Amino acid sequence: MIPAHEALPPPLFDAELAAFMQGGISLNIGSCGPDRRPSVARAFGCRIAADRRQVRMLVSSSHAAQVLAHVRATGVLAAVFSEPSTYRTVQLKGVDATVEPATPEDLAAVAACRAGFVAELEPLGYAPDMVRALLGCPDADIVAVRFTPSAAFSQTPGPDAGRALGVAS
Amino acid sequence: MKLDAIRGCFEGVVPGTMATASLDGTPNVSYLSQVQFVDGDHVALTYQFFNKTRANLLANPHAVLAVVDPVTAAHYRLSLEFLRTETAGPLFESMKAKLAGIASHVGMSGVFQLLGADVFRVHALEQVPGCTLPAQPERNLLSALRRTLDRIRAQRDLEQLLADTLEALAVEWDIGHAMALLYDAPGQRLYTLASRGYEVSGVGSEIALGDGVIGVAARERTPIRISHMSSEYAYNRTIRDNAQNKGLDALETAIPLPGLRQSRSQLAVPMVAADRLIGVLYVESPLDLRFTYDDEDALVALAAQLALTIHLLQSAPDTPDDGQCPAGETTRAPGEPIAVCHYPENDSVFLDDEYLIKGVAGSIFMALVRDHLESGRSEFSNRALRLDPRVRLPDLSDNLEARLLLLSRRLAERDAGVRIEKTGRGRFRLHAQRPLLLIS
Repeated sequence: MIPAHEALPPPLFDAELAAFMQGGISLNIGSCGPDRRPSVARAFGCRIAADRRQVRMLVSSSHAAQVLAHVRATGVLAAVFSEPSTYRTVQLKGVDATVEPATPEDLAAVAACRAGFVAELEPLGYAPDMVRALLGCPDADIVAVRFTPSAAFSQTPGPDAGRALGVAS
Repeated sequence: MKLDAIRGCFEGVVPGTMATASLDGTPNVSYLSQVQFVDGDHVALTYQFFNKTRANLLANPHAVLAVVDPVTAAHYRLSLEFLRTETAGPLFESMKAKLAGIASHVGMSGVFQLLGADVFRVHALEQVPGCTLPAQPERNLLSALRRTLDRIRAQRDLEQLLADTLEALAVEWDIGHAMALLYDAPGQRLYTLASRGYEVSGVGSEIALGDGVIGVAARERTPIRISHMSSEYAYNRTIRDNAQNKGLDALETAIPLPGLRQSRSQLAVPMVAADRLIGVLYVESPLDLRFTYDDEDALVALAAQLALTIHLLQSAPDTPDDGQCPAGETTRAPGEPIAVCHYPENDSVFLDDEYLIKGVAGSIFMALVRDHLESGRSEFSNRALRLDPRVRLPDLSDNLEARLLLLSRRLAERDAGVRIEKTGRGRFRLHAQRPLLLIS
């Protein structure tokens, strides 16, 4: 992790939003190849550093193969976090994404996210088995895409969609 | 794998996600409220407001779309190329109605507005590795369709044709709430001729072209399918409320439409034969997401056969008129007379101050009543009626059978002491239990 430094700008989002993003909601990441062809894949978990300057999106290496190839080639990333019950949606962008092996903490975050997502979707009428299959992936297949958020936007449907997020300090 | 094999992914149960990229290669990911299957090579997405996705598409038409089957959880990825935006026409109207239903369902009625239907070519479709559950087939619509067609193909009586169709929908398709409406071209409206599964039949109720799910389907000649009901398209509620607000003081000539109060899924399919709008076949359900793309396709096929059969019935020559319609009994029925009141401006007819019918069916009824009063005649033929200058048939090809059926059903439902009954092919009898008294 990057050490805290006085010269660094404040993080792009606050602790409440960081908790929201790690709370077992719908996660997707996208990237773009050198040919400007985009890619997209579902993520199965998310971990945010305490200083909120580093984000790890946890994906399946087979399911997200195209995004991972693009990340390795260009380093650009978009990550979307959406809560189905409220439609609250946030998008982060990064330009320094790298692919790393998953740590035991990452795998624990995937398990927690999966359980949280099942609990989020069940009251909305989605069968738990279906949600578990949606996020089903062997641990050995999980990798982390680590990036520094360089921009953050609200994407909740409505008049504020697309508004850049800043943090009130 | 063909695109039409994964249409279950496009029902909006699990939102799709799309990635686009700007010219400098910055990706953007967005959630999609609606993905519309267009044909084997195209899908359409809603353009609701100008956002990053749209800015990217205008600069770089390449996009990738991820969708999930809501039953099996299988993931699919589609490589797309943005082609064009449609702002009118069948695709636009179909997506607009669907979006209104989605918006209402998720409490976003003021937020989701369709500005255009963005059409994309699908260059590639692949299943993405992941866990899946087995599929759970519930019914076979092709088989239901075939059995229904077998049943109605040979039917040569309009009333029985419609009754058989609605019964087959209930038995073979498990669709318990349905109605058939025919189109009145000069009046630009549809009138209900048969229904099944409602407290009241609503026969004779009308919908203007362009009103609600049924009226839009008729105007655009395209199926309109809503998986979550929207007040925007809730024709029946509005009409019912209007009717109630008018109260008893108005000359009430509106027959309430049948319809489920708690309708959640609706599908209106136009019946078109030889490029002519015959009417609309309409089904609904109290369940969300009841009708799928496959239901829509199967009902479109059924409606095509139904339209053709009705068209053939209309085109069939009337039974030759031997001019020997017996005058019938001249003795007048006993009892208090039934007051028959006619308003020529819209041919509306009231029996004992209660509304019966209007329009062409009203003018038919008046011709019958006048002949009955003047010459004691009770027996009539379709052929003579079609040529009768007092009957304001829009044109010779108009469905006289349908008008007679409408009149006959209304008389039976009003139970006012007058009815008409078929006495043979192209022949019928006016039967009055009490004397008729014309009030002018």
